[in-house]
Amino acid sequence: MKRITVLLLVFVLALSGMISCAPSSAEESYKIGALTPQTGKYAGLGLQTLEGMQVIADDINEKGGINGIPLEVVPCDDKSSTTGVTLGAKKLIEVDKVAVILHGTVTALAQSTMPVAEEGKTPAILLSGTALFDDQLGEWCFRPMGSEEDYADIVFQYLNQDLGITRVAAMMENSGYGQGFEFFMMDVTSQHNMELVTTQHFDPAATDLTLQITDIKNSSAEALVIWGSGPAGALAVKQARDMGVTLPIIAAFAQGSSDMVKAFGEYYEINPSLIVTSSKTDIWQNLPEDDPDKAMCRDLANLFLEKTDPPHEPGFYGVVGAQMMLFVADALKRAQPDPTDLAQLRSEIRSALESTENLDLFTAVYTLSPEDHYGGSIQKIVLVTFKDGEKVLVRS
Amino acid sequence: MDLSIVLQFFISGVNLGCIYAALGLGFFVVYSVTRVLNLAQGEFVMVGGMLTATFYSMGVPIILSALIAIAVAGLLGGILHCGVIHPARNLSKATQTFLTVGFAFAIEGIALLVWGWEYKSLPNFLSTPNIHFGGATIIGQTPWVTGITLLAVTGLFLFFGHTLQGKALRACADNPLGAKTIGISVDRMSLYVFILAGAFGGIAGAVITPLTMVSYNIGFPMTIKGLLAAFVGGITRAEGVILGGMVLGMAEAIAAGLMPSEYHSIFAMIILMAVFLCQPHGLLSSSGKT
Repeated sequence: MKRITVLLLVFVLALSGMISCAPSSAEESYKIGALTPQTGKYAGLGLQTLEGMQVIADDINEKGGINGIPLEVVPCDDKSSTTGVTLGAKKLIEVDKVAVILHGTVTALAQSTMPVAEEGKTPAILLSGTALFDDQLGEWCFRPMGSEEDYADIVFQYLNQDLGITRVAAMMENSGYGQGFEFFMMDVTSQHNMELVTTQHFDPAATDLTLQITDIKNSSAEALVIWGSGPAGALAVKQARDMGVTLPIIAAFAQGSSDMVKAFGEYYEINPSLIVTSSKTDIWQNLPEDDPDKAMCRDLANLFLEKTDPPHEPGFYGVVGAQMMLFVADALKRAQPDPTDLAQLRSEIRSALESTENLDLFTAVYTLSPEDHYGGSIQKIVLVTFKDGEKVLVRS
Repeated sequence: MDLSIVLQFFISGVNLGCIYAALGLGFFVVYSVTRVLNLAQGEFVMVGGMLTATFYSMGVPIILSALIAIAVAGLLGGILHCGVIHPARNLSKATQTFLTVGFAFAIEGIALLVWGWEYKSLPNFLSTPNIHFGGATIIGQTPWVTGITLLAVTGLFLFFGHTLQGKALRACADNPLGAKTIGISVDRMSLYVFILAGAFGGIAGAVITPLTMVSYNIGFPMTIKGLLAAFVGGITRAEGVILGGMVLGMAEAIAAGLMPSEYHSIFAMIILMAVFLCQPHGLLSSSGKT
C-alpha cells in the first residue's frame, strides 16, 4: 500500500512538473485561429479554405517558421451559422488566445465576426467577396479578397468589348454576394453603355429556376449573367440550357468549382460554352510562359499535391485559404512580434497588416492602409471557359 | 401575363408539389402508425440520392442504381427503428421524436466522411428529353418525378386498403391496444413503417437528384419541406400530404415567378399561418386521427 502511495505521489509530481515545465503554446508559436464552416451548408467552402490555410502553415513550419517561431493553426467550426461564428470567434479570442483570426466563410457569416474581433481587439481577416460592408470593417478587421466592382468590370467589359453585346439579363442570388454584385453591376453596365433588360433573383437553395429563365427567354437579352455563391447558380446554367437558352452565359467563381464542373460539365460545354470568373491558379497550366503569375500558381499547385491526401490541386477556396495565411505570414515577418505578450502581439499584427505594401498574391496585388482594409490594387481575375473537360483561358 | 409564364408557373408548381408530396409521405406513414415524427426523414432522401449517384458513377445502370439506393434507404429506416425507436419504445413520443434528430445528425456526419462535401448529380432517367411547348419547358426528369410520386401514392392506397399487412397497420394506427388484443404485433408494424418511410425517402432522393443535385447536408432542408407539406395538408391522411405538397409547390412557384425575392419567405409564412389559423390540423385533417 505504501509503495503504491509513493508511486502515485511520484506520478503526480512528475505530471505537475511536466505541466509546469511545459511553456504555454503561446510562448513557442504564433496561434492562428482558423474559423471556418466545417459542418452545415457551407462546409464545402470552409473545409477547402481550412485546407489551404493548413497547407501554407505546414510549409512555413517546415522551412523553420516565421523568424524561427512556428505557426500553430487552431481550427474552429463556425457550423455555418451566425451563432456558431460568434461563439467560435469568442472561444478563439478568449480561450485559445489566438494572435489573429482567419474567417474563411460567406459574407453573411463574415459580418458576425466583426463586432467580436473589435471587442476582443484581435485582428481578423475575413473571406467575403462583397465590398458593401468595407466601410464597417473598423480597426481590427480586414477583407483582402476581392470586390464585385472588379468582377463586374471584367464581365461586362468582355461582353461589351469582345462580344459587342449591349443588352444583358441577370440572375442574382438572393444573398450578400448576389446583392453586392447587383449593386455594382448597375454602375458598371451604365459605364459600358449597356442595358439590363431584366434582373431575376433566386434563393441560394432554389431547385427550380424555370420561371425566372422563362422570363429571360422572353426578353431581348443578348447574354445572361448568373451570379451566386452556391449550387443554385450552377442549376440555373443547367436549366437554362435544358430550356433551350442559347445566349452566352457568364457565371461566378463558385459555378466553376470542381464539383459543379463534375456535375454539370456537359451543360457547361454546350455551345456557346459557359464562361466563369476564375483565379489564375485554376488554369495555370494554360497560362502563357511569360505570364508573371505562372510560376507562383505552379508552386502552389505543387505544394498542394505534396501536402494533401489524396493529392490534389487547390480549388478556388483552397487558394483563398492559402492567401489568407500568406497575408498573416507577411505581417508576422515584417513585425517580428513577441509571441508572449498577447495584447502587444495582436496590436503589432494589426499594424503590420495595415502597412501591407505591394503584396503579390494569387488574386491580386495588395496595398493596405489604415483607411483601406481591402487594398486590392491590381486584380488578377481571369475569365475561363470549358472545353473537353478542361478550363481554357478566355480573357485575363 | 405571358402564356409561356403561366404554363411554366403551372409546370414548376406541379413539379415542386410532387417533390414535396414525396417528401411528406415518409412522415405520414411513420406518424400514422407510431405517432412519432421522424425528423431523420430528409436523411433517407439524401442517402437515396447519394447512393444512386455513387452507383451510377461506378457504371451501374441508373434504374438499378436507384433500386439499390431505395433498398439501402429502407434498410436504414429499419436500423433507425431497431437501434433507436425500439429501445426507446417506453419513452414518450416526444422523446422518440428527439432521438430521430440524433440519428439524423449521425447519418449526416457519416455521409460527410464517406462522400465528402462535394455535390453530386445525375442525368435524367433513361436520358428522357426535355419537352418544349408554348414557350415553356418540361425538363426531362419532371415526368419521372410526377409519375413515380403518383405511383407511390397509388401503391400506398392499395397497400393500406387492400392488403392484410396494410389493414393491420391501419388497425395499429386506429387502436394500438385493440390491435395487440387481436394478435397484431404493433412493434413489428412499427418496424415495417420505418422501412417503408426509408424507402419513400430513397425514392424521393433518387428521382429528384437529376433536378436538384445532392450533397451530404441536404437532409435537414428536405425534412423541413416534407414536414411543411405534411402539416399543411394534414399529416394523418395521405391525400392531405399530397395536397399540402401541391399547395407548397404552387406557393413557391408563385413566389419565385411573381414576387420580388425579398418577399419569398414572408409569402410562404403567410400561407402557412393562414392554413394553421383556419385548419390547425391541416387542410384535409381528421382531427388528429387516421
